[in-house]
Amino acid sequence: MSSIGTGYDLDVSEYSPEGKLFQVEYAHKAVESSGTAVGICCRDGVVLAVENIVTSKLYETNCNRRVFHIDRHIGMAASGLLPDARAVARHAREEAADYRQSHGEPMPLSELASRVSNLMHAYTMYSAVRPFGCGVLLAAFENGRPQLYGVEPSGVYYSYHGYAIGKAKQNARTEIEKLKLAELSAANGVKEAAKIIYSCHDEVKDKYFELDLSLTSAETAGRHVIVTGEQWTEASNYAKAALEEHDSDDDV
Amino acid sequence: MLADWTQQEVLTGTTIMAVEYNGGVVIGADSRTSSGTYVTNRTQDKLTPLTEYIYCCRSGSAADTQAIADHVRYYLDFSRISQGREPTVRYAAHVMQSILYNNRDNLSAAVIVAGWDEVNGGQVYCIPLGGLLVRQPMAAGGSGSTYIWGHLDAQFKPGMTDTECQEFVAKSVSLAIKRDGSSGGVCRLAVINRSGVQRRIIMHEDLPKSYDG
Amino acid sequence: MAMLEEPSCPGFVFDNVLRNQHLLAKCGGGSQADAAASSTSALPRAKKTGTTIVGCVFNGGVVLGADTRATEGNIVADKDCSKIHYISDRIYCCGAGTAADTEMVTRQISAQICLHRLSTGRLPRVITAKQLLKDYLFRYQGYIGAALVIGGVDYQGPHLYSVAPHGSVDCAPYITMGSGSLAAMAVFESRFKPDLDQGQAVQLVRDAILAGIFNDLGSGSNVDVCIIRQDGVEYLRPYLRANEKGQRAAVYRGGKPAVLRTDRRPVLADIISTRIIRDSGAAQAAGETPMET
Repeated sequence: MSSIGTGYDLDVSEYSPEGKLFQVEYAHKAVESSGTAVGICCRDGVVLAVENIVTSKLYETNCNRRVFHIDRHIGMAASGLLPDARAVARHAREEAADYRQSHGEPMPLSELASRVSNLMHAYTMYSAVRPFGCGVLLAAFENGRPQLYGVEPSGVYYSYHGYAIGKAKQNARTEIEKLKLAELSAANGVKEAAKIIYSCHDEVKDKYFELDLSLTSAETAGRHVIVTGEQWTEASNYAKAALEEHDSDDDV
Repeated sequence: MLADWTQQEVLTGTTIMAVEYNGGVVIGADSRTSSGTYVTNRTQDKLTPLTEYIYCCRSGSAADTQAIADHVRYYLDFSRISQGREPTVRYAAHVMQSILYNNRDNLSAAVIVAGWDEVNGGQVYCIPLGGLLVRQPMAAGGSGSTYIWGHLDAQFKPGMTDTECQEFVAKSVSLAIKRDGSSGGVCRLAVINRSGVQRRIIMHEDLPKSYDG
Repeated sequence: MAMLEEPSCPGFVFDNVLRNQHLLAKCGGGSQADAAASSTSALPRAKKTGTTIVGCVFNGGVVLGADTRATEGNIVADKDCSKIHYISDRIYCCGAGTAADTEMVTRQISAQICLHRLSTGRLPRVITAKQLLKDYLFRYQGYIGAALVIGGVDYQGPHLYSVAPHGSVDCAPYITMGSGSLAAMAVFESRFKPDLDQGQAVQLVRDAILAGIFNDLGSGSNVDVCIIRQDGVEYLRPYLRANEKGQRAAVYRGGKPAVLRTDRRPVLADIISTRIIRDSGAAQAAGETPMET
């Protein structure tokens, strides 16, 4: 999609004659070369899943998660540069806490998405800073309504039924489109999300990855929880089984 | 030379109350405003709109409560514009509470915030003098409320209908008007629900009958 | 040489409040009143106008009324002061309370309203003036002793409000304020009807002010009336002289009464005792009265 800057990429706030902002496009590149993150709005909840690529076996598991708690009821999944994602998460947490303080109630996700988008957009406008090298998915289950927002490094944000960012976003989006989201329960959504991450994973390029899963649903009473233990094992087994079945189909 | 009341602050010696019913809330108040022993206004409207769906019932210093209501109205208008939806009753109550609490040493104001929103339906929030905020299915305030708590506790039942609730509030306020020297005049009512606000005035001669001996 | 420092913020300055309280305490009086009575170094007291001011809505506008007495304690300081202040061409404001405060607060708001009119290019609304006054008075927490009746006509029709010194506002078809407001309110309560015409409204306002003038010690002298209609303002000052000096009923001739007859008679008296004073100094030393007959 993007071309070489040819001298128009020396400053964040510099336009090319075609009206492009190369630094912002490079930031998108950073997201596109990172592990896939998927968000799915189900009937009674929202699921986030990230293909957390592990570059060395020496890393301890689960210490560099790519799903974050923002508030009790809001979760965030990130694809791209992890430190940048942490900075966004910290800012989002501050916004959510600030909103709670001044409004006396939990922050609506639409409001948080708008604030996070403002932040990311602000970082595309000043020469002293660089755009965030990460895209984020924000999820909440508000008053019985599942909500999912995706914010990109340019500051663009939309509300989605299902969305994917990162390396295999095209494949993942196609897989999400196949799901019947209006009927899918959040419990099954967790499995489906895991399956999508497994199916999009390219074993040739990246050998190891961790599956980061999180959920906010009616079952969790609207709280955002990281999926661990039995439920995680179940989802990951389901994904592996589905993948093997798929592979064996190919063999036939 | 000057009478004492000309020097005194205008106070709403008051009866105010708000009750949740199955589709919204009913709020009610008397209409007397006094300064010392003089009734400075016998037709005061103590039910003050904050938004189209949220009202507050004011008691305490008239100047303080009017100024606070103006402030809260500004916050809520701003919230409606920036968020593109009606502010929640809880938010209105929270804004009111933070103003009352942060300025508690300089204010004498106790209010009830009541209204309807899409999320939680009809709600009543009570904010007494120090700036405490509590949600209650029924709240009463002002000097007149002390005379009717027994009646309120005995007669209140959750999930009343619209008309039941209006009768309950009218009866309670009129009992307070008759026993409290600082409450008087007419009984003002407002019903707030999904379709907005309907106001009612019960003139003094039409107040529900009770023992007058 | 350094210049006098300019106050950094506009408006009233309360810097000397503590000093004044300290001085008062030193004077031996707890309150200002005690100090004024007992001590020569007491602080001067602000002039408070015991007042009757009223306002009344009629079918085409608003009538404002006021008495014209300004008092300083028990003394009438001004027998013909003006208490109906100009805010804008169609908005006027009656003031009761501390004379200086009512004068300054109405001037201040009048200026703001004028600027607002110039910047918006619209005729000012009564509610705007009311809100400005209310916010201003509330900010000073009652320390600006101005009780106001503000009335006027804008594109929405006639409006009438009262603003108390602490910043509370009432809206009503008839309003009275000041020390004479009880007397005036009695007149309105007994005779006000909705949809009065101008003549009836002016009559009612006149009678209400007269009730204040005759029944309240703080109010007196004349009746001022201001009639505000969409098409113009009639400021009648005085509308009525309530206490016109009376005419002498008859003229008496001057001079002394004439002496008609003279009659002289000798008075005969017996001398009961006589004492001859030899030496006045000695007599006084002995404690005797100097002379006795």
